[in-house]
Amino acid sequence: MSHHSSPAMKLLAAPFLLMLAGLVVWPLATVLIDSFSKSGAWSLGNYAEILMSAYYGQSFVNSLLISVLTTAIGMTFGFLIAVGLRYRKGGTRRIAMALANIGANLAGVPLAMALVFLLGLNGTLTLLLKASGLIDTFNVYSLTGLIIAYCYFQIALAVLLIIPVLDAIEAELEEAASLIGVGTTRFWLRVGLPVVGRQMIAITTLLFANAMGTYATTLALTSTSVNVVTIRISELVSGDVFSDPNLANAIAMALLLVLVVPIVISQLLLKGDKR
Amino acid sequence: MTHLDLSAIGMRYGDNVILDGIDLSVAQGEMHVLLGPSGCGKTTLLRSIAGLVQPDRGAIHLAGRAIEKLHPKDRGIGMVFQHYALFPNMTVRQNLAFGLEQRRLARRVIDDKIDTVLEIVSLQDKADARPRQLSGGQKQRVALARALVLEPSLLLLDEPLSALDAQIRKRLRDELKRIQRQTGLTSILVTHDQDEALSLGDRISVMNKSRIAQTASGPEIFYRPADLFVAKFIGNANILTSDEFGRLIGREFDRTAVIHPHMFKIGKTSSDNSVFDISARVVEAGPAGNVVRYVMRASGIIFNVEAQTAMNAAHLVAGTEAIVTIDPSNAHFL
Repeated sequence: MSHHSSPAMKLLAAPFLLMLAGLVVWPLATVLIDSFSKSGAWSLGNYAEILMSAYYGQSFVNSLLISVLTTAIGMTFGFLIAVGLRYRKGGTRRIAMALANIGANLAGVPLAMALVFLLGLNGTLTLLLKASGLIDTFNVYSLTGLIIAYCYFQIALAVLLIIPVLDAIEAELEEAASLIGVGTTRFWLRVGLPVVGRQMIAITTLLFANAMGTYATTLALTSTSVNVVTIRISELVSGDVFSDPNLANAIAMALLLVLVVPIVISQLLLKGDKR
Repeated sequence: MTHLDLSAIGMRYGDNVILDGIDLSVAQGEMHVLLGPSGCGKTTLLRSIAGLVQPDRGAIHLAGRAIEKLHPKDRGIGMVFQHYALFPNMTVRQNLAFGLEQRRLARRVIDDKIDTVLEIVSLQDKADARPRQLSGGQKQRVALARALVLEPSLLLLDEPLSALDAQIRKRLRDELKRIQRQTGLTSILVTHDQDEALSLGDRISVMNKSRIAQTASGPEIFYRPADLFVAKFIGNANILTSDEFGRLIGREFDRTAVIHPHMFKIGKTSSDNSVFDISARVVEAGPAGNVVRYVMRASGIIFNVEAQTAMNAAHLVAGTEAIVTIDPSNAHFL
């Protein structure tokens, strides 16, 4: 035990701690401190403005709506696809993993472009659906469009993360269940999911944070027309007319708070279920 | 009476033949052991019976009913896996109840059945423990109980003792035998361990290269192996070519001899014509408790001899000359 806490061992951790300080603590501290500065004076004015403004309030509601929805969709489909791939060997599995890998990393401009080609006003799929009479009109440059776009990488990311987690459940367990007459659905509800519950909660949290923080895809697809948090922050930082970096800092802190809440809740949940 | 009947079970995977026309009958109440080296097809055969893999051809009848097309759960078969396969998030009781609940039995009936089975495997006091709190031997007894509680018509055991350490393995082996006798449940056990096979099996099927090389009782397999593979796989008999055996006994001989080390007798016998004397030299002597294992050489042939040790007499030491005798009726010829 003693060598774990010896001064020499502590020294070895120094580069990491230094990096942590430089890349996380320092910027975060700057953002936090600056968020309390309004027109050159210390105040809670930035936070008050966020709370009072229906505009910023709506950006949080929209971001939360998109994130919760796409996390739920991502986890559901990700889980089903991962379970499906369990029963496939070699080729199919490799191809699906490659596609999921591409999907998880195909965000931002390329994803927006792809969606415009498919679902834009004159997109292939839009025209096809219109011609078949299934839809009257579809606007991809909207909240719905964003949800579809986010789903691309959310589902792909969920598949990538869930597959290795499910590998921890031995095939023998499923076989044992099938021999005693327990079907696939019941097996996953009563055994599979409870066994990997902790990891699933962790992945859900990650997906939620991933969606809350998405910026490039949003900007590329809908520019500033859909009111979400990341777009608001960027506008305040780089906008020519409404530039107010300190208000942006305050919004960033609020966003951080929104991300920390589910993490804390999930940690508390897991603690209660310590196995 | 035949309880399980396999006929012409065949399976291939690409160019590999996994099961090559397996025929096997297992009697009601029998403990049948499938024994063989890894890759011989024994586990695949067991999994085919359970319905976990689908053979390409062949028929499986259990208690007179064709089951080869049925879903595993409809076959009336219980199975115990090498690595227990207990549901880790459930207590012992929940593990056992899981299958019973599926049958929509009254809670009371379920509890009674579980208590009965837990008593059989001597784990009444562990009903509320979770698998991670149990030792390997206890886990495997829970797995056995989980199979027994559904009152299957056939019990399959896939290397149930292999994951346990030596001492527990032996204890559980005896217990397995007791439980099988007590329940009278027709069972098939897969193993690569010949001691396990010989001590547990009413009958043993030795498998080699996707086929059954021999099916017989333990002593029959041990003393009268059907072919060279079985002879080499079971026990540590001396396998002497016709030429070697001929030189040893000083006569022309035309068959391979399988002679267990304890079938050689040390010391000159009476002038019985059917018993051959061999003048040998002790190359190595290895006393091990009640037996001493010798390596001997005669006419340039090296062979193993095993004798009982005695409390008040010394065994032969390396370098000594000795006369050993062999009665050909104590040897098996191929």
